[in-house]
Amino acid sequence: MRRFDTAKLAVAVFIGSEAVFFGFLIAAYLYYSGAIHGPTARSSLDPARTLIFTICLIASSGTLWIAERHLAAARHTAFRAWLAATTLLGAVFLAGQAMEYVGLIAKTITPERNLFGATFFTLTGFHGLHVLCGVIALAILLVLTFRPGFGTREGSGVAAVAMYWHFVDAVWIVIFSLVYLAV
Amino acid sequence: MSDIPITPDLLEESARAADRSRWQEWIATVDHKKIGTLYLITTLAFFCVGGVEALLIRIQLAWPGNTFLGPDAYNQIFTMHGTTMVFLVVVPLLLGLANYLTPLMIGARDMALPRLNAFSFWVFLFGGILLYFSFVAGHAPSAGWFSYAPLSEKGYSTRNGLDYWALALLGIGVGTISTAINLIVTIINLRTEGLTIRRLPLFVWMVFVNSFLIIAALPALNASLVMLLIDRQLHAHFFTQLGGGSPILWQHFFWSFGHPEVYIMVLPAFGIISEVIPVFSRKPIFGYGFVAASTVAIALLSLGVWAHHMFAVGLGHAWEYAFGASSLLIAVPTGVKIFNWIATMWGGSIRFTTSMLFAIAFLLTFTIGGLSGVTFATVPIDWQVTDTYYVVAHMHYVLFGGTLFGVMAGVYYWFPKMSGRMLSERWGKVHFWLMFIGFHMTFFVQHFLGLDGMPRRVYTYPNRPGWGVMNMISTIGAFVIGISVLVLLANIQISRRSGALAGDNPWNAWTLEWATSSPPPEHNFDMAPPVRGPRPLWDLAHPQGGRT
Amino acid sequence: MWVCAFILAVVTIATFYILVRYRRRDDREPDQTTGNKTLEIVWTAIPLALVALLFGLSVMTARAVDHKIQRAADVVVTGRQWWWDVRYGANAITANEIHVPVGREILVEVDAADVIHDFWAPRLSRKVDAVPGHPNFIWIRADQPGVFAGACAEYCGAQHAWMRFRVVAQDEASYEAWLAHQSTGAATPSNGDAAVGAKRFGELTCANCHAIRGINTQKQYAPDLTHVASRQMLAAERMENTPQNLRDWLREPKVVKPGCYMPNLKLSDQDLTDVTAFLETLQ
Repeated sequence: MRRFDTAKLAVAVFIGSEAVFFGFLIAAYLYYSGAIHGPTARSSLDPARTLIFTICLIASSGTLWIAERHLAAARHTAFRAWLAATTLLGAVFLAGQAMEYVGLIAKTITPERNLFGATFFTLTGFHGLHVLCGVIALAILLVLTFRPGFGTREGSGVAAVAMYWHFVDAVWIVIFSLVYLAV
Repeated sequence: MSDIPITPDLLEESARAADRSRWQEWIATVDHKKIGTLYLITTLAFFCVGGVEALLIRIQLAWPGNTFLGPDAYNQIFTMHGTTMVFLVVVPLLLGLANYLTPLMIGARDMALPRLNAFSFWVFLFGGILLYFSFVAGHAPSAGWFSYAPLSEKGYSTRNGLDYWALALLGIGVGTISTAINLIVTIINLRTEGLTIRRLPLFVWMVFVNSFLIIAALPALNASLVMLLIDRQLHAHFFTQLGGGSPILWQHFFWSFGHPEVYIMVLPAFGIISEVIPVFSRKPIFGYGFVAASTVAIALLSLGVWAHHMFAVGLGHAWEYAFGASSLLIAVPTGVKIFNWIATMWGGSIRFTTSMLFAIAFLLTFTIGGLSGVTFATVPIDWQVTDTYYVVAHMHYVLFGGTLFGVMAGVYYWFPKMSGRMLSERWGKVHFWLMFIGFHMTFFVQHFLGLDGMPRRVYTYPNRPGWGVMNMISTIGAFVIGISVLVLLANIQISRRSGALAGDNPWNAWTLEWATSSPPPEHNFDMAPPVRGPRPLWDLAHPQGGRT
Repeated sequence: MWVCAFILAVVTIATFYILVRYRRRDDREPDQTTGNKTLEIVWTAIPLALVALLFGLSVMTARAVDHKIQRAADVVVTGRQWWWDVRYGANAITANEIHVPVGREILVEVDAADVIHDFWAPRLSRKVDAVPGHPNFIWIRADQPGVFAGACAEYCGAQHAWMRFRVVAQDEASYEAWLAHQSTGAATPSNGDAAVGAKRFGELTCANCHAIRGINTQKQYAPDLTHVASRQMLAAERMENTPQNLRDWLREPKVVKPGCYMPNLKLSDQDLTDVTAFLETLQ
């Protein structure tokens, strides 16, 4: 009796564990945010610029959703295109984050500098790592779409990766709100 | 019928398997039974290592002022003993048993994610090797198994041991979470026809609830470990006061993992007991629903008691009262279980097999451990006994006298299923009595040492009245335990080859794993029996009902 | 404790009774009872009531032990790897030995300078952690005169085992005398080995870590030695305070207390004689 799709169920449970993990990183960020000596979120970050990359990431969830609909309707070429767009948008987000990091480090805002540095880099860094893993998963999926026989049957694996990607997106919305907007 | 179809892939797999050498078979396996066996063998090996570490500790403490081990060596050894037993023995042992038994007990052919299963084992093994590599690399971790900051920070633990510790535990944590995911998906998706959630064997139910607890707790450890590593390697100040950080935050974060962890270490053992006692009392478990529900209660409550490890930190009375209350509360569902197990035996026809002896010993020993836990939940008492040998006594009563005795009951119960042969009952009883007596000799006196003022984690102690004698008794007890383990190992090794043949169902038990051969074939079942209740084989043997 | 003993007795007796009464006699399968709702409710309700009782008792006791603090501490104890810095006010400074007057409640402030320690005198009080940056306060009170053992009760590294201390409870007059004496400075000895020792104390860099009020003042890296010879023990309860032990401690600190931060200065026999003689004058 297969009650739920195995891949999706597994990813859902995995997402549960990741939510706890990020919860603790967020807790550390918030705990220390009250009493920072030295550079703070307000003084070091550029919410407007990060908003652009945020929009890219949110858009990538949209493109992925569209891609899945194409796959369900067996429109494989369209699926591939929208999947590629998703992967690209994810990579753009990562590039944006990398640029931001370079800028901060150039101003000696590092994990060592103070607790803003430590909590900021830890939280956004692990998020970025999760985005990277997502981008790799999407890229692998993209490659798999070129295999003969790729079809709607693979929808379950795609759906599982999609769930993960949407989760990573949702975490970023939380981080963006707490770290960039709450100043 | 179980639901993974015999697809051409699987048949091909079996054919190819016949060509591989035995080593390849074991390294490349994705079969849950082989993986479960790998876990059992590996954790047994780590148990011996951890046991040797314990013996070294006990030799050093046998009399005051002993110079067998210097403080640096001793501190590494007690840290490794704790870390090994918690992370490399108890949890993977339970998960290994769960791995082997769950598909069998639900009438499935394998776990839902066989390759993830294999990955989980190998990443766990890698973590274990990485941890022990620290000895070779110059210095094992020596800040205790829960590595309080600031002692665990670079400034006070300058060698690399703690970095190995953190990295190893991260790997092991990933493996543990993966197994939990696998178990949850397997239990939800792969139950055979008729096996509703309410008919689940209690072992499977407890493994199921336990897996959710793992999902909730292990990530807290992973988060704590990365923050510690970032402190140590990138010079941040999460937990060092000098940079504005808070050593107490480490404690909050760690115990948010650490307390659920101890329940993770005991729930599956509760499950084993819930299988063993009914079979050897020849009655169903008393109060199935209440035992199942109390498991959920314990799991939920365990998320809200962590600060009872911090009653002496000076958090303030509000924290202490709140967590004292929740910690006292968690005793209630645990007590309910004990009463139900005893009631199961009432009116039964008890067979004193080795497995049952361990189950009974579990009942008594875990009760003592649980009650000493209740004394800890009573805050002012905790202010005296926390961080003393009273804690060492308590934790070993629940983890060794509790979980490990439960595991022993499970070993003697399921070894016939796994190997096809019976363990010697005669030598089993020798093992039992030696272990039981050795255990109480080792740990009972430690209650008194703690009450009398002996702190924990000390490489030696002053010659205060009675301390030398009590420590010596404890040391002798430890060696008695050691001998009992040798008996067990010999029993396993000899019985594997020449024990009495077990047959499908040597204990006349009732759950699905006994409805196939011993050991089971690769695909587990030729045909899983119909399931109309929690005891399918009983129902099959008593179609009219029978003495209910 | 009585509650626990009672529960243990119930469980143990019930179990043994059942094991005897219901041991297998034949191969008949017994009545397959599956449960009893009333029983479940009863044996959930009773433990619930018992733990509620325990909670109530614990709150009452906690409030009595940890009652309100409305004044400054009488003594400030700072845990350091691996000794206890003890200060009464600004002037009386010592290490590892606390004196208290019998019958009077003393408020102790517990701090830490490096890692987390724990201050625990089992017969006198609860224990409390010494957390860097987070001072804690406990009350201690001795009802009889005597010497009470104390220990660090939070693992703090290599010499956690020998980070012990003692509390000496004396009558009010003796206590005041002791306190007054501990507040005084030391005088440099004028002749003999001790005088040489005093000079060598500075030359050998001992003075870089150890303060001796009246002779040199120093940041407190190591125990204040102004009245070291008046203490009962050395090296945080490691050994009795005798001239020979003191000499051994100076000669090979890493053998006496492996891992401690006091360096082995490889003192010559003559230096050992002189410095020991000097330290012995610091009564």
